Amino acid sequence: MLVQKTGFKTMSQFDVLFEPLNINKLTIRNRIVSTAHAEVYATDGGMTTDRYVKYYEEKAKGGCGLCICGGSSVVSIDSPQSWWSSVNLSTDRIIPHFQNLADAVHKHGGKIMIQITHMGRRSRWDGENWPNLMSPSGIREPVHRATCKTIEEEEIWRVIGDFAQAARRAKEGGLDGVELSAVHQHMIDQFWSPRVNKRTDKWGGSFENRMRFGMEVLKAVREEVGPDFVVGLRITGDEFHPDGLNHDDMKEIAAYYNATGQIDYFGVVGSGCDTHNTLANVIPNMSYPPEPFLHLAAGIKEVVDVPVIHAQNIKDPNQAKRIVEAGYVDFVGMTRAHIADPHLIAKIKMDQVDQIRQCVGANYCIDRQYMGLDVLCIQNAATSREYMGLPHIIEKTAGPVRKVVVVGGGPGGLEAARVAAERGHNVTLIEKGEELGGQLTLAAKAPQRDQIAGITRWLVMELERLGVDIRLGTAADAGLVRELNPDVCVLATGGRPFIDQNPEWGAEEGLITASWDILSGKVEPGKNILIYDTICEFSGMSTADYAAAKGSLVELVTDDIKPGVGIGGTTFPTYYRSLYEKEVIMTSDFMLEKVYREGDSLVAVLENEYTGQREERVVDQVVVENGIRPNEELYYELKEESRNKGQIDNDALFDIKPQPVLLESASESGDGMILWRLGDCVSQRNVHAAMYDALRLCKDL
Amino acid sequence: MIFEWLHPLLIAAALALAVIGAVRRISLWRAGQPAEQSISLIAGLLTIPKRYFHDLHDIVERDKYMAKTHVAAGGGFVLSAVLIIVVHLFGIESKILAWGLLAALALMFVGGLMVAKRRQNPPSRISKGPWMRLPKSLLSFAGAFFVLTLPAAGVLPEGTGGWILTIVLTALIIWGMGEMFFGMTWGGPMKHAFAGALHLAFHRRQERFGGGRSTGLKPVDLGQDILGVSKPTDFKWNQLLGFDACVQCGRCEAMCPAFAAGQPLNPKKLIQDMVVGLAGGTDANYAGSPYPGKDVGSAKGGPTQIITEGLVDPETLWSCTTCRACVEECPMMIEHVDAIVDMRRFLTMEKGNTPNKGAEVLDNIIATDNPNGYAPASRTNWAADQNLAVMKDVKEADVLFWVSDGAFDMRSQRILRSFVKLLKAANVDFAVLGDEELDSGDVARRLGDDAAFQSLAKRNIEIMSQYKFKRIVTTDPHAYHCLRNEYADFGGDLFKNVEVLHHTTFLNELVQQGKLKLDTFSGGTVTYHDPCYLGRYNGEYEAPRELLRSLGIEVAEMERSGFRSRCCGGGGGAPITDIPGERRIADMRMEDVNTTGAELVAVGCQQCTAMLEGVVEPRPEVKDIAEILADQLIEEVH
Repeated sequence: MLVQKTGFKTMSQFDVLFEPLNINKLTIRNRIVSTAHAEVYATDGGMTTDRYVKYYEEKAKGGCGLCICGGSSVVSIDSPQSWWSSVNLSTDRIIPHFQNLADAVHKHGGKIMIQITHMGRRSRWDGENWPNLMSPSGIREPVHRATCKTIEEEEIWRVIGDFAQAARRAKEGGLDGVELSAVHQHMIDQFWSPRVNKRTDKWGGSFENRMRFGMEVLKAVREEVGPDFVVGLRITGDEFHPDGLNHDDMKEIAAYYNATGQIDYFGVVGSGCDTHNTLANVIPNMSYPPEPFLHLAAGIKEVVDVPVIHAQNIKDPNQAKRIVEAGYVDFVGMTRAHIADPHLIAKIKMDQVDQIRQCVGANYCIDRQYMGLDVLCIQNAATSREYMGLPHIIEKTAGPVRKVVVVGGGPGGLEAARVAAERGHNVTLIEKGEELGGQLTLAAKAPQRDQIAGITRWLVMELERLGVDIRLGTAADAGLVRELNPDVCVLATGGRPFIDQNPEWGAEEGLITASWDILSGKVEPGKNILIYDTICEFSGMSTADYAAAKGSLVELVTDDIKPGVGIGGTTFPTYYRSLYEKEVIMTSDFMLEKVYREGDSLVAVLENEYTGQREERVVDQVVVENGIRPNEELYYELKEESRNKGQIDNDALFDIKPQPVLLESASESGDGMILWRLGDCVSQRNVHAAMYDALRLCKDL
Repeated sequence: MIFEWLHPLLIAAALALAVIGAVRRISLWRAGQPAEQSISLIAGLLTIPKRYFHDLHDIVERDKYMAKTHVAAGGGFVLSAVLIIVVHLFGIESKILAWGLLAALALMFVGGLMVAKRRQNPPSRISKGPWMRLPKSLLSFAGAFFVLTLPAAGVLPEGTGGWILTIVLTALIIWGMGEMFFGMTWGGPMKHAFAGALHLAFHRRQERFGGGRSTGLKPVDLGQDILGVSKPTDFKWNQLLGFDACVQCGRCEAMCPAFAAGQPLNPKKLIQDMVVGLAGGTDANYAGSPYPGKDVGSAKGGPTQIITEGLVDPETLWSCTTCRACVEECPMMIEHVDAIVDMRRFLTMEKGNTPNKGAEVLDNIIATDNPNGYAPASRTNWAADQNLAVMKDVKEADVLFWVSDGAFDMRSQRILRSFVKLLKAANVDFAVLGDEELDSGDVARRLGDDAAFQSLAKRNIEIMSQYKFKRIVTTDPHAYHCLRNEYADFGGDLFKNVEVLHHTTFLNELVQQGKLKLDTFSGGTVTYHDPCYLGRYNGEYEAPRELLRSLGIEVAEMERSGFRSRCCGGGGGAPITDIPGERRIADMRMEDVNTTGAELVAVGCQQCTAMLEGVVEPRPEVKDIAEILADQLIEEVH
């Protein structure tokens, strides 16, 4: 006998995350927040324009209760904003733009606050208005290579006034609060830290003197906005420098500011970041354990009596629940998690946790930011492109249901299949290998890079949910495609290693090994190997790391400036930590000229790019990472018989409009299937490029 | 015929026995408790004709064949009986009356034939046993008296026929009158006419008649020695009268969702067991469908014997979802749900025997004022970002939005948020009670804990009395029913000037007034599932349909829709008491949905939403009407 189902829902395991909590008089509807990050979206001199507004609106729509936006938004004209297109609060022009932002977020029940700061020495002086950067004692900042002057008393008071005016503008613009940045070693915490504050006047030296600047800022801001406007303070939990502020110092500072009763919440970030190595800590990538600095935030919570917010490598709702339940902190920042999926909270609420696209910690977002490029998610091409009309939620098509064949199961192919299936089409995905993932599978083989396979994992789960017909171990040829007779065929066949570019390397004779073969396990790394990497991104470094972890002696050679020069600021430090520890030798400026055999060993002939001097290395194995050549044979076979000759209309593509061939009837443009190719099988780009093309082509199918 | 004195004697004897039987039967009923309303005898009897021809006949009319049959057989019998007494007992000579009698008997004969035809391949819902002989009894009565009347009508000469005819006719008359007069008051199938007619007069819910509706449960007097009904005599006397009116037609059985799910409940057998209880005996003579999973023959009881110790298994009582399909369908206007809840009250309040999760839920209600034991202060967390006006602050509003239990459940919260979105778009002046709101008490009352219900009701009323509002609107039909039909028993003046509305009624008003701008729905086929507590309990069938129509949706109606809507299984605490069956009620309802080919089933109750969404996928989407409307809302861009 079956038992009747009980109709009453049992308590959801994530209920604790939906208990509202007040900050000052503001009710925040749940415990997962998006913390301040630099977006690089502000235009027109730092205004929060369309792209900015729609990006935050999407999060509010997706259920986020509180977004603190505008990491490093500047209050003064001598804290330059253009390098990272930061939001500019030094002018009243910002007020109507803030109004748009506030309205968009409030409409969906969310709250929005902005971080305001003067970056002091943490900037660049060689552009925009060519200011003299300022710092308490004029000490150069390593990570931006920025020199600065010793700030004078008049300038101190001016900056304090700038903070107050900025807060006023935020309030008049309808935002719900401001967050003073005393983190990432901006001006306020430059005064705090004895590492950079050597002053002997009332602004330096003793504890109270070092605190004075921040206190005056707080006082001025409060006087300007009154007691009911939220003013928060974001601090570090420990600078991780022997001559800087440690955790006990930070607790003393937090308690001191808390005692004023004028701070409504504390945000805590683990680690300082004025050197390359510490920079990687503040936005921990996939090589870090989960919530590595939670203990620092919890320590601060012990000494304050207002809510504490902590982010840093909290990617999963289960982590968030554990943290809030145990009371370590009050709000959990899941900022990159929201970049990967702005509808994260809605999906938790609807019991669709498996459908959340999880951040894998690739740090493509922040690494772009440090190069002054706009923040984009490696796997979610719609993030920050809402203003262009790219959808996070794919609607079913109102047109005909098509048969779609996707060839290639890497990220490009998986995304194309997913989007087409969400549209309601009949999708078949064909993959040559025994598992899906393409080059992501290889990338995940390197030590500490395994999480990148999370991109594949989510896409595969989605394809299963959507009922896509997946055929593994099937090499698609023209015959198979014709047999399947699709309406649309998308080729995402990727590429193959281009180790045969220079015949002198001896690829044909089997003298060199492709990096892919090492990572895939097809070829064991030798005992003593040389890796020649012309690309200087992840693949070469990963191969070196992999081989070194297996016990090989590795020299990583590049003709470029430095191995890993193409990797961003938060990622190359984690590689270097690993490679230096394993005593990998890194050699730059040398080209690989020739490889030949000598007895049992191989000899690699290297030539210095600048002097032409040659050196030789005697090794067991030479591994080459020289990028890829596209696998375009199938494309050319099918091109002629396709309706559009494989052509993609760039006007429509760049405008996020449907491809013209979709709107034409068969009689207009002829018979035959529509053929597109994307990803590395066109030209070697990256995961984001492949997935962006997949999304913008297939969303109108 | 010879022995002219014989037949009048037999008639008189039969009638005398009938009167004795009637007295006896009445005393069995009067062994019950006094009724809530006292109705004077004459006044009551005078209501019978109108109620019979209108209220009762409307229900009988649903089975057109039987309606005609009953007109013939029943109408024929009543006329015949009267005329028989006149012509044959009092011997009044009148050709007209005699011919009238012939006509009536002919009609009855035809009726008898129709009954016989029905009984050839009877639907499973009707009882057999004594009922199978009824056609023969009718035909005997009608046929025999017909022949007997022929001389009086002048068709046959007096004294026609000899011994044989006389004996045959006498035998048939004895049989016929035995069934029709004697059996009517001594417990045969014809008892339904006697008890049924009186039940119309002395029905416990007088407001039902004349097109009315009376669905609120009657409160328990908590001052009594024993709460609830433990033995048959604990019922009100007119409830016992109602049980005797049962004609074992089984229409209730055919509609009952628990029966269809194979749970151990058959409303017809339950009423018959009540008859066994009030008259004493066993169910050995019951010839209808049993309780699924339980054999007939082991139940025995008496007027002062505890019902659940030998007569009815508690599992039978707990299987009921209180959907009222049985009551809606019963031509004798029997109130099955009242009886079941009365018996549950004894089990819960006196014995503490609520099965499975029942005890836990009742404990929760008592401790935290909500069935799932959530922290009371978290009741308004769902609306943290909605900026709702709270009565404690604003003190008055046009509309009090009664949020109900859905506030704690994430799925139901989506319905609430959609409704709030619509209220805001229409600029409704509304407020909520916030954390002051307590559970409406519906679950407690249906599980039999009337004490908890009354406590919640009184406290809720006290809280509401502090504020001023003209209407209460709620998305929850269960709360709607409690507020509209049951709280007035405790409410004093509060409900005199306050209108209680379901959200679909209210939204429909807004749409008619043009206060909500809605886009046309462009999805696939839509069907609508009438919630029991909105439809049968409160008569609101039209407003949801009108709302859907305003979106351009023509509902693809299920076969069982409107007043015949099939329960989702979520009411009456059934999911809590969880009595095992052979299939799930919600699955059966989803099958009904699938038959219409709908891709979306619209509902108006968060409990229905929860039950239907519990059906395993793939299945159509389930959405509350508020959600469907909110999706189509054209938002003003400023």
